[in-house]
Order: sequence, then C-alpha cells, then structure tokens
Amino acid sequence: MRLEHWWFTLPLRLKSIFRRGRVEQELSEELQFHLEHRIEEGIANGLSPEQARQSALRDMDGLEQRKEEMRDMRRVHWLTDFVDDVRFASRSLRRTPGLSALVVITLALGIGMTSTPFSMVDALIFRPYPVPNPANIVSLVSTSRDNAFDTFSYREYLDVRGHTKSYDGVVASAPPEGVGFAEDKAATPRVRGGMMVSGNYFRVLGVEPRLGRGFRDDEDVVPGRDAVVVLGPDFWKNEFSSDPSVIGRTVRLNGHDFTVIGVAPPDFHGMWIFMRPDFYMPLAMAPVFSTNPQKRFFEDRDDRGLGLRARLKEGTTLVQAQSEMALLAQSFERDYPQVSRDRSAAVRTQFEMRTRGDDINWKMSVIFAILALAVLLVACTNVAGLLLSRARTRTREIAIRLSMGAGRSRLIRLLLTESLMLSIIGGLGGVIIGYAGIYMMSRFQIPSELPVTVPFRMDTRMLMVSLVLAIVSAVFCGLAPALQATRANLSSALKSADVDLPGVKTLWGRNALVIAQVSMSLMLLTAAFLMARSFHDSVDGGTTFAKTPLLMARFDPRLVQYDATQTQQFYKQLTDRAREIPGVESAGLTQSPPMGLDNFGSLEFAPDGLQMPKDRESFSATMDIVNEGFFETMGITLQRGRGFLASDTADAPRVAVVNEQFARHYWPNEDAVGKRIRLDRSNGVPVEIVGVAQTLKYRNTTESPLDFIYLPLAQRPTARMVLLLRTTTDPLQWVSPLRGVVHSLDASLPISETRTYADLYRYHAVEGPGVAIRLVGTLGLVGLLLASAGLYGLMAYNVSRRTREIGIRMAIGASRRDVLKLMMAKGVVLVGIGTGLGLVMGAGIEQLMNTMLFNAGRVDIGAYLIVVPSMFLVTMLATYVPALRASRIAPTEALRYE
Amino acid sequence: MSKPSDLLQGTLDLLLLKILALEPMHGWAISLRLRSISREVLQVSEGSLYPALHKLEQEGWITAEWKQTENNRRAKFYSLTRLGRKELDSETANWQRLSTAISYIVQLKEA
Repeated sequence: MRLEHWWFTLPLRLKSIFRRGRVEQELSEELQFHLEHRIEEGIANGLSPEQARQSALRDMDGLEQRKEEMRDMRRVHWLTDFVDDVRFASRSLRRTPGLSALVVITLALGIGMTSTPFSMVDALIFRPYPVPNPANIVSLVSTSRDNAFDTFSYREYLDVRGHTKSYDGVVASAPPEGVGFAEDKAATPRVRGGMMVSGNYFRVLGVEPRLGRGFRDDEDVVPGRDAVVVLGPDFWKNEFSSDPSVIGRTVRLNGHDFTVIGVAPPDFHGMWIFMRPDFYMPLAMAPVFSTNPQKRFFEDRDDRGLGLRARLKEGTTLVQAQSEMALLAQSFERDYPQVSRDRSAAVRTQFEMRTRGDDINWKMSVIFAILALAVLLVACTNVAGLLLSRARTRTREIAIRLSMGAGRSRLIRLLLTESLMLSIIGGLGGVIIGYAGIYMMSRFQIPSELPVTVPFRMDTRMLMVSLVLAIVSAVFCGLAPALQATRANLSSALKSADVDLPGVKTLWGRNALVIAQVSMSLMLLTAAFLMARSFHDSVDGGTTFAKTPLLMARFDPRLVQYDATQTQQFYKQLTDRAREIPGVESAGLTQSPPMGLDNFGSLEFAPDGLQMPKDRESFSATMDIVNEGFFETMGITLQRGRGFLASDTADAPRVAVVNEQFARHYWPNEDAVGKRIRLDRSNGVPVEIVGVAQTLKYRNTTESPLDFIYLPLAQRPTARMVLLLRTTTDPLQWVSPLRGVVHSLDASLPISETRTYADLYRYHAVEGPGVAIRLVGTLGLVGLLLASAGLYGLMAYNVSRRTREIGIRMAIGASRRDVLKLMMAKGVVLVGIGTGLGLVMGAGIEQLMNTMLFNAGRVDIGAYLIVVPSMFLVTMLATYVPALRASRIAPTEALRYE
Repeated sequence: MSKPSDLLQGTLDLLLLKILALEPMHGWAISLRLRSISREVLQVSEGSLYPALHKLEQEGWITAEWKQTENNRRAKFYSLTRLGRKELDSETANWQRLSTAISYIVQLKEA
C-alpha cells in the first residue's frame, strides 16, 4: 500500500479484518447481482434458464476462484488466512484431544526437562563475566607440570603487570576468604566473605561503583597503608539497609579499622560462579588477612595464590599475548630458577578456564548436556511419530481438500499452523516446568558463612533457546508429515483413509523412529542407573564419620590479632579444656574435616632416597594440618605406626602421617613407616613418616583415591582451625559448654560454623551431589516414560494400519497365532536393533562417566540386566495388545476396516 | 469470449477509471458499457472485471456504495475518488505518450 493512500485505504483494510462477515456477504451479493443480470440476458437471447445459468457461470471462469482472487486484493489475506488457519487448527486439534494433549505434554516435558540442565550448563560455562565487554577479558595462568591453571605470587603479578604490553590492564585477586567483620570496636566480629583485589581491579574491569568510588591504583602500593574497603551490593543491602551514608564510615575487618569508600553496582557479584564476595580489600592490606604463614606475601615469589585477569588491548590477538606471556615466563625461569623451574605461563579465555579438564562443573555440564539432548531427541521423535500418524489418518481429508482446489502450499501452511500451535502450547508448558526445575535446584543452599550461591536461573537467553527449540521442533516434526500427506496420489488417497503405498522411504522413517526411541531411552536409563548406583556406593563408603556424634566449630584467632605464639597457646588451652567438659570423649583440631567445604592445601616434597626424575624437583600431595587428638576423634584408623603425640613439638624431629594410597604410591613393596621425605625439594627439611592412616574420601564422594599427608599443628603453625569434639550423645548439647570454655579464654573471639559434622556431611556429601543425581534420574525417567509412550504409539499404529492385511490373512486361513507371530516379529527386530544401538551408546556414556566422575573401568552389567528387559517388555506389550485386537476382528469387518 | 483479447497490462484499470469518471455505476453496468463503447473490440472477461474493481477500491481510487438501481434492486455502485481522478489523469497522459510513440514507430516507412 502506498503511503499517501493510507488515509483512504485504512478504513477498507480495517473493515476487511474486523467486519469480514459483512465484506464476504457483500462480495457474494455483488457477484450474484451480476449473475442474475447475465442469466436474464441469456434468457432474453433465447437460452433456457438452465443454459443461461451455465453460460453465465462459465463466463465468470470459476466463481469461487474469482472470489479468492478478490479476497487476495484486500491485501490482508495473509492475516485473515492465518486467523482461519488458527481457528481451523484449533478445531481439528480439539477433534483428537488425546493425541493433542499427548503431543503437548511430550513437548512440555522435553523442553522443560531440557531447560533445567541447559540453564545449569549456561551458568557454569557460557554466562559471560558481569562486566562491560566481557569478551576481551582473559585469564593469565602460571603453568607447571602438575597444574596447567596455577596462580601467581604477588611479586610475579607485579612483573606481569609491569612487563606486558598486550593489555589495557592486569588485575589480581585472591580467592574469597572468611574475614571477621564488625561495625565498630564494641561489636563481636562475625565471619563474612572478603576478597583481596588489586588497586586497578574495578577500573580495568570497567565496573562503576554504585556509590562512592572504587580503589585507586595508589591505594595498592604501600603494604598496610590504605585501609579501605568496597562493599558488595548484597552485603550493603542486608547489613546496612542500603544506607547511602555508609561511605566514609569506619568498619572493623579482622580487628583493623577500614574506611568504606564505595559500594559495587547491583549487577556485579564478582568474577566467580559460586562465590559472591561481601566486600573487597586492596592487596596491599594482605598482612591483615589470611596469607600463608610459612611465606612472606610481598616477598616470596613462590607464595602463589593470586588469580590474574587482564583486558586485551583492541587489535591484540590471543597469539601475541600468548607469546609475550611465554617469553616473560622464560625470564622468570632464568632469573629465579629456585622457585620458577619448569614453570611457564599462558593466556586462557573464559571458556578455557571454565572447561578445564579437571573441573567437576565442566564434567557435569557435559554429561547433563548429553542427557538433556537425548531427552529432547526422544521428545522430538515422539512428537514426530505422533504427528506422522495423525497426518496419515487424515490422508483422505487432505486429498478431498486438494481436489476441491486448495493449494498445496496453503495446506502445508495449515498443517504447520497446527503443529506450531501444539509446539507453542507445549513450549509454554515447558517454560513452566523449566522454571519449576530451576526453582527446585536453586532452593538448595549450601550452609556456609561464606556467601555461596547456586547461580542457576532462567534468563532471557534461556527463554529464547526454549522458544526456538519449540519452534524448530514444530517445523521439524510438522513439516515432514505435511509434505508427505500433501504429496499423496489423489485418486488412491480418496479411496482409502490410510493408504500405505509401499514406499521404502516412509517405512524406513517410522522404523528409524522406533529404533531411535529404544536406543535413546536405553542410554538415558543406563546413565541414570549408573549415577544413582555409584552415588549410593560412595555415600555408603563415607557414612562411618557421619554416624559418629561430632561437634565442630571454627576458630581464627587472627580475627582478634593473636600472633603465632598466642594462637598456638590458645589452641593448646582450648583442646585441653574442651576435653575436660563432661561427656566429651576426645577433641581434635584440623584445617578442614573430610568432605568439608574448604579446599585442602597441598605440600611439595621429595621422598628421601628415591631418585627424582630428571625433569622435576618435587611431587605434590594433598595436605591437612591436625593435632594429636584428630585421628582418635574422627575415628580414622591408623594401619601402621602411630598418630601424632604431644611430644611432637616444634623442637622435636619433624614427623608426618600419610595415607595408604600415599604409602603404596611411593613405597609399593616396603613399609612406609620410618621412611623420610623432604619438604619442597630433595635438599629440604627432612620429615619422618611415623604412621599410615586409612585412605578416605577427602573432597567429594566420587573422587578417586588421593595421595594424602597429615602434618602436626605444633610443627606447622596455622591460625584457622576447626575444633572437633567427639561426644557421648547429641553433639548440639555441647555447644553452650564449648562457648563457656571459649569465653573463659577470650570473650571477644568469634566462633563460627558451629554445627554437627553429620549436618555438614549431609549437606556437602549427600544433598549436593543428590541434586545432580535427582536431575539425572528425572531425566532418565522422563526419557523412559516418553520413549515408552512413543514406542507404544508407534507400534500400535503400525499394527492397526495393517488391520486390513490381517483381515485378508485370516480370511485365507491364517490362524490368530500366525497373525500375532507376524506382528510381534517386526517389533522384536526393531527393538533388537534399538537395543543393540542403545547398548553401544550406553557403554559410551558409561565410559564417559567413569572417566569423568568416578573411578575408571567399571562395567556395570547390573544396570543392563534391569534396563534391557524392561524396554523389551514395553515394546512387546505395545505390539501385543493391538495385534491381539486386530486378530480378534472378524475378517469380514477387517476387510472393510479403514 | 473468455480471454481479454490483446488488452495491455494495466489498461483495464485505465478503462475502468475512465468509465467511472463519466458517472458512478455498478459492476453489471460497467461490463455492458465496456462492451458497447469499445464496439465489442475489447472483450473483458467478466471473471477479471470484479477482481480489478476490488483492486481499484483497495487502492483508494474508487469508492463503493450500496444503492437502489432503477429496477429497485440493491447494487454496489462505484464512483471515482479524488485520488482516482489524479490517477486517471496521470495514466491518461502516460497512455497518450505511449500510444503516440508506438504509432510513430509503426508508421515508419520501410526502406
């Protein structure tokens, strides 16, 4: 429509849309008027009324076609046609309510069940950093033989920042840690999550503070000078009720006065996936916070622990940055051979950081994505099968429409509208299910003083993906049947409701659907079964501790400015007095109890008397620092030698306890007790192994056995420790006696994470993985359900299609048994092929899960023994019931059957 | 008499506009008038007449009104709009240019 005409034409268009009935009626009336005159004229010319009528109609060249042509002139036919299609589609969908509901439910389940794992994958892998231009933020990592994602020390950071030219800035941050926070001197400190960052952190990342300012570069130069703090958005809201006058106020962090200078914007929660720091402190304030007491943070080049991120300059490629980093690392190795031997450095993208091979989130994401895709595929094949059978039963209807002059494209559009409607309803249902799933996932909270969040949420990107999935599945599932149905040979289609021209292609398609259903669901079930079983096994393996009545409480005397000597004295007195509380059987100290939330440290060492490989200085093992009461309190069995004694003091010879795995690893055929290792490298401090403890699960239930070493607290002083009390009955009854003891030692010292060990274990080791297990289990179950329903539908449809054939067979003498055998045979063959394929895929996913999550190489026959027969049963039932029904029909009836 | 004989593309519109410029009339009258004034040379299919009228109406060049005919029957009378008048003028000018040009060409003497 030309623009200048709109004033005249708009009313006409609106009339065409909103007063269609009237317009249609006028159209008929106008043509009728013409016809009547034409007939009168014919009669006047001497024709009979009937002849006149015929001739008039003939001159019109087809009345209906002309009408259609005139409707096209209205220029809104696409819209009115669409409205027609929708109205017609909804009517025809209502005619088969069961089938429509089945398609909608299948799609809703398929999309809903997929969007939960996909949003998880999105959160763990793909969500960009919450900063401007997140794409050019890269991570710089130190690489060593054992760790391709290692961190840098403060000194190394200064060199990287000073000697690289590829970046618009390099920032450093320490991992979030527990910090004692108090509003003023009088208040008892509470433990909150703080994070040390470099002075240029906010500027380089491009994060504009919501209030006040970020750090200045010069606030990160002189150690201990600038005691300033920037608050996180949530912390500001919860702790200060979003009070804007907080800027300039003084708060106490670990007993030091800090000035609040800014509040981070509400959408910036730090660069971590799971952690949201409550506040940020400059790196130069490190002495106030927890650094490795064995090292000097500002001096030692091997006091590594800082994560480096940088913003690539415009026009600088990753390759250029990479070679610059490698060169710099070479100069480190040359200048500081002692601490930088065999070390290089690399530039990694966000994606590389999140998809590192050893990362459990990445492994989980891969497994979830595969399973989710399988469920989606099952749902799609299901819908395709359902729509296919639906379209085929309508062959005659479509043939009639075609012969009455409907265009093929118009019909295809109509059929597509039907499947689009189904998929949109299904998609909406899927979004609801997805939301529910994500809600359930995010309700799971890890109880911890540090702000840990589960970042799964449905965002607009996820919604778009879901909707696109729905539409694509509609086109995919609706187009093929539509094309096939409208291609039908008119004359033969009109004769029968359901022609099955023996085309190899159509038959192949349906058989492929059956095979895909069987194999996919088999794979899903295998995965679900495997995961649930090995989870059960691993939980059973760790429950011995969980059953012991253990009370735990965390202390960090640095929060009240104890020095190392005071700290040691405090722990000595604490354990001595705690043991005297009636009902307490023993007391132990550890850096982190097994399966706790904290990461264990690691120890570099060289076994004495063992020839070190030429290319390495040291091995590394996971380490815990414990006191003499620890093994007894936790109930960890010492297989050989002894545990720690009160006599293993700082002045006594250095001792260690290793686990069985460690002992077997380094001294496979000898007794490890009495052997010596040296700290850091082969000329380091000698430490004697005095005992061998049982191997536990240390970090999570699915880990493979770790080399683990215990060092005595007295010989390796540490500030932040967990006290464990083994009690006679319910551990929580000893909370207040313990508080009394602490109070008598120092009333100002905060106690954190006071809870039973069973509680911690349940959350971390049972419920956390349980979320994943439940998700996989649900995926498997939904997959099986969908596959069974789809399988049943397809098989039943296959058989019912052959009712006439059955009638003929029985009419010429086949027995009911023959018919049943014939029908079942095909089902068995298809399911057989599907099972074969499913076993292969199942073995594949088992391999994947074994190598990624669990101990490698366990072939789980039990899973298949349950899964395979159940699939067969479903299929057999799906074939048997309709086959039986078909064989019961009297041949005369079956022959007439359409 | 079905196919329009040698009716140039777009000329039907011009003819209809011209006829309606004389007086408002209904479809049947238009078809009669077409036959008579072109002395049966231009035979417009009745089938294509109505779609053409609808197109002109949708373009805003003609407007329709239901009125009584002389025999007291309801019929749809079309009349030219202001826009239609402009369109007719420009189309007429076009047509004259074109026909002049073509008649020059066909009158060229063959050497």
